[in-house]
Amino acid sequence: MRCLSLLVAAAFVATPLAFAATPDAVRSDIAARVKEKLPDLAPSDYALGAAALDPELRARVQDNAAAAAPVVASGKALWTRKFKDGRSLSGCFPNGGRRVAQTYPQYDARLKRVITLEMAVNQCLKAHNETLYDPAEPETMGAVTAYVRSLADGQRAAVRMPAGADERFEQGRRLYFTRLGQRNFACASCHLQGAGKRYGEVPLSPPVGQTTHWPVIRDGKAVTLQARIRECLELMGAAAFPPGSEELNDLEYFLSYLSNGQALAANPYRNW
Amino acid sequence: MRGTCLFAAIAAALAVPCAAQTVAPPPSFLAPALGYCIACHQLPENIGPRTRADLGPALTGERMRTLGRTKVREIIEDPTKANPDTVMPPYGRHRILEAAEIQKLVEFLLALP
Repeated sequence: MRCLSLLVAAAFVATPLAFAATPDAVRSDIAARVKEKLPDLAPSDYALGAAALDPELRARVQDNAAAAAPVVASGKALWTRKFKDGRSLSGCFPNGGRRVAQTYPQYDARLKRVITLEMAVNQCLKAHNETLYDPAEPETMGAVTAYVRSLADGQRAAVRMPAGADERFEQGRRLYFTRLGQRNFACASCHLQGAGKRYGEVPLSPPVGQTTHWPVIRDGKAVTLQARIRECLELMGAAAFPPGSEELNDLEYFLSYLSNGQALAANPYRNW
Repeated sequence: MRGTCLFAAIAAALAVPCAAQTVAPPPSFLAPALGYCIACHQLPENIGPRTRADLGPALTGERMRTLGRTKVREIIEDPTKANPDTVMPPYGRHRILEAAEIQKLVEFLLALP
């Protein structure tokens, strides 16, 4: 009972946002709340996550910038590997995958669901009768996303919100503000309400900019955004949603839309 | 000489209980799988590990004694009763800690300088 099995509590963290608020209104409201919490932090630094709030962490990231190179190299090998039919992952994406990661996740109006970059990779593999990658596996999906997201470094996040997508955004928003698990935390408890404060020794990163620096490189492996969210859920004492689940996809969509306009900076070093 | 030895013996005997009274956080205050209070709260100097955690307020004995034993226990058991917006977990209501562990935390907090 004590650890990670658990209960779903529920009760929304107090939020002034109305349910009918548009995605842009939600984004503006959250950006204003982050600015109010962290008035001295330049918005251009939001993408550094916790490292933006601690000079020592920032130096650690800078000193270990080369840690991503082997992961990105193995991702490139997978990206360009020829399928049995002679095609490759590279051929499934516009411009060979250059400058596309900033547009993910995307809303598929036909399927009425969110398609993450990882799902798009697996759609390509499936279309070419290749074995799908486990979305949580660092050596395959992690490495591939590390590479393709590196091809969009410096690009401004540009997640679109076409007609019909606002329902997915709203589901992501609801999850973000819903208390879960034995510890009764919502994502917003720490990352909005507590943005900039320290949990343990590490500052809590604000939601704006949070999706621009994934995957991160920890212990020489790529950790995807959804893998990190699942770690958070486990810390909360909640049963983590599976990688690629609708819940995590909607949450990623919501968070990514909040970061629109922020420059992508994939594959930073992490040891916290 | 005999008097000096007797004095030293009495002083040593008194010193033991004094040392035993040193305030130390119970395991549930520190353990990530239990209370893990240290992740959010700082303790007074020389009590437990030094941290920079500040998601929750720094804990002082004066504040705890002002709240009183009953209130401190209630807050640990379910802080959302007093403050629905708090980020502090409901350690009793969600059975994160046993009653005996909560009691140890209460006594520790009230004994803080």
